[in-house]
Amino acid sequence: MTTGRVVSRLLPLLMVPVLAGGHSVPVSAVMTAALRQDAPPVLRSNVRDTTYLCVTCHAENRDAFEQGVHADRGIRCADCHGGNPGADELPAAHAGRFLGKPTKAQTVQLCASCHADPNRMRPYALPSGEMAEFRSSRHGRLLLEAHDTSAPSCVDCHSPHLIRPKDDARSDVYPTNIPITCGRCHSDSTRMAKYGIPTDQVERFERSAHGRVLLEQRDFAAPSCIGCHGSHSALPPSVADVSTVCGRCHVGEAEAFDLGAHGEAAASGKLEGCLGCHSNHDTERVPADQLAATCTKCHAEGTRAYAVGVEMQGYLVQAAADLQSADSGLAALALVGLQTGDARFRYQTAVTAFNEAARAQHQMDMRQLEDLTRRVRSISRDIDAMRASYEERRWEHRLFLGIVWFLALSAISLSWMVLRRLDAQEPGT
Amino acid sequence: MRALWQAFVQALRRLGADIRESTDARLLAIPRFLGLLYGPIDGNQSIDQALDKSLRRRLPAFIGWRHSLGGITYFLFIVLVVTGVLLSVHYRPSVQEAYPSIQRIVSTITFGWLVRDVHRWSATLIVVVMLAHMARVFVEAAYLPPRETNWLIGVLLLFLVMAFGSTGYLLPWDQWSYWTVSEALTTVERMPLVGGFVADLARGDPIVSGATLSRFFAAHVIVLPWAALALLSFHFALVRHHGSAPPERLTAAQAGPGRPFFPHHLLRSFMMAALVTAIVITLAVLRPRPIGEIANPEVAPAEIRSTWVVVDVSRALTHLGGGLGFALFALLGIGLALVPIFHRGPARSIRARPRAAVTGALFLAIFLLGWAYGSRLRTVPPVTTEPVPETAAPGDTARAAALPVPDSTQGAR
Repeated sequence: MTTGRVVSRLLPLLMVPVLAGGHSVPVSAVMTAALRQDAPPVLRSNVRDTTYLCVTCHAENRDAFEQGVHADRGIRCADCHGGNPGADELPAAHAGRFLGKPTKAQTVQLCASCHADPNRMRPYALPSGEMAEFRSSRHGRLLLEAHDTSAPSCVDCHSPHLIRPKDDARSDVYPTNIPITCGRCHSDSTRMAKYGIPTDQVERFERSAHGRVLLEQRDFAAPSCIGCHGSHSALPPSVADVSTVCGRCHVGEAEAFDLGAHGEAAASGKLEGCLGCHSNHDTERVPADQLAATCTKCHAEGTRAYAVGVEMQGYLVQAAADLQSADSGLAALALVGLQTGDARFRYQTAVTAFNEAARAQHQMDMRQLEDLTRRVRSISRDIDAMRASYEERRWEHRLFLGIVWFLALSAISLSWMVLRRLDAQEPGT
Repeated sequence: MRALWQAFVQALRRLGADIRESTDARLLAIPRFLGLLYGPIDGNQSIDQALDKSLRRRLPAFIGWRHSLGGITYFLFIVLVVTGVLLSVHYRPSVQEAYPSIQRIVSTITFGWLVRDVHRWSATLIVVVMLAHMARVFVEAAYLPPRETNWLIGVLLLFLVMAFGSTGYLLPWDQWSYWTVSEALTTVERMPLVGGFVADLARGDPIVSGATLSRFFAAHVIVLPWAALALLSFHFALVRHHGSAPPERLTAAQAGPGRPFFPHHLLRSFMMAALVTAIVITLAVLRPRPIGEIANPEVAPAEIRSTWVVVDVSRALTHLGGGLGFALFALLGIGLALVPIFHRGPARSIRARPRAAVTGALFLAIFLLGWAYGSRLRTVPPVTTEPVPETAAPGDTARAAALPVPDSTQGAR
């Protein structure tokens, strides 16, 4: 892009007001002018050329920027910051509609000038609703309405110059990196003090079932922070929404929960939904043997509700033990080389039944729970029987050893006797 | 009925007489190769006369039980051939079918489990017995001229047995065998000069794959057996030609007329064969080889178990002493194998050769300890740490701080 072309693109800035934070600098117009709709995006892999002189002083930003996705899309320094990139002297370079380092509110407007425009985002198959979402978020309201500069703008999560696609493992918004990105502010006790928000969420998340699956197993089916809170529309779910949020993934359990006795309590606001048993950031599956103990958070021992919990615990503990026994049985059979295809298929049926038992447990449907856990037990016993049958065969093989050694020792003894007799007949013995 | 029986017996006698008259006595080389005969075959005689002469051949009186180690090695080789043929009837050497065919052999084929584990244990015992046989020759200095060529052929046979075991190791196509062979070939690849060529030749693909399996199977059941046949024939021919090395000082009893091969020595061979068979079957029944999960090049197993003595020793040495430990042990073994080239002195007693005794004992001790340690070892494949391909962001994330600083010259024009 030549200097003249940049200047010609910057001219309309004078005509466009900027709303963000009451600032008068026409930030969004910078992008609007620079990336006019009639100017198709130009793909350039290298933004270094001798006529573009911002890098004379800002080399470190260039190094970061050229690794990001925007460099490939033809965005240049002046497209966001204004100024005259062709000038080799500081005053001339920062003259004219020079924006410099935008404020947080300006940054939001600057990004939105492209990212809120469906026509600009369409070629890249990117959504254009982030700005609207951000305005509705807690972060957006703090920044744009309360003018709280501690609240984040786009670049606090996406980095100002090095913006990578979200499916790039080095990106700040890659699923496994999101807890770190959020934790940059939310683990900062100084910054969070004025909002009264605890700062141990990331630590608790990393220990949780979700955190372990996401960060250790790298299974992206597990949610990161944004899975529950949203990304651009980040908000803590309200108590009434918790079941809905959890139910987006745990569909069966959420449906069952709503149908059960606890669902009514949650709907009326007496129970904080799923969190009542599972907590929020340190979400954890309630171990089968801890079920009744969890009930005591609300129900005193000796009550009928507690007795139901004890009964459920009994079923689930037994089913978990049965499943474990089937699993180890299968592993043992596979280890000795037996074909376990059919048994594995049945084991999967048992696993499904066990998972369905979790659903029945959420609905507190004791009859269904009994049915399902009995099915688990039946399959487990079949696999145990296979294992016992193999062990029995092993014993038969050991008995076979008796025959082998009898024959071998008989042959050796007879040969020995014959040999001794022959030796005695040999001359010189 | 009686007339019919007599006619049958006469027909058999005529058939026998025809065979005696018409058959070349040199055909007896076949049973001789199998160890059923010992002496030279007189091709100028009829086959029955040549057989009788061969059976009556006397072996020196100093031939004792310790000389049976070579025979046991050969017997184990025959067991391996027989069980290998039986296994090859049901084994299918392809990525899709190898593992299920092993499962089928173990679980549904009658006595398939026994055949497979006898094959596996024989593969381990043949190495141990072969080393014991070589130790006997080493201690008695039986490799001295004119038998030094036979020692070197024995060394080649040891390598051949290890090649048999190495190629057979991959055939179960489970995670343990797959990743062990992958590791071994990676190690071979790092060897100077020919390492890359040999590894590529063995693999036939950038990674261990179906091409590797086919190559290993072909080598295991076609190439190596022919090589073994040639080397064994040469080894036995030289043993018969030079005879067993007599002790340094013959006692009066040892200087006697000796015993005829049949029935004395054949009976001894039979006794040893019965004992070894019982031992191998016992090991196969009590210690069957476990099977890992089916080979998966994309997922390294949580642990690797080894199932062959040479792999046990190699892993133990690598685990305890790294590549250097393994290389030193290999050098020690090669040094021992080359001893006959340098040993020309008259002293044959091991007491007169303290350095050789210590070196040999050290080798055997390391081998046995390595076997014991390696068989209990559970390792995981090494994780290859590749350098980060691209530079990371400068800036304020903790992650970026842990990554290399970007090279500002990268991509500059």
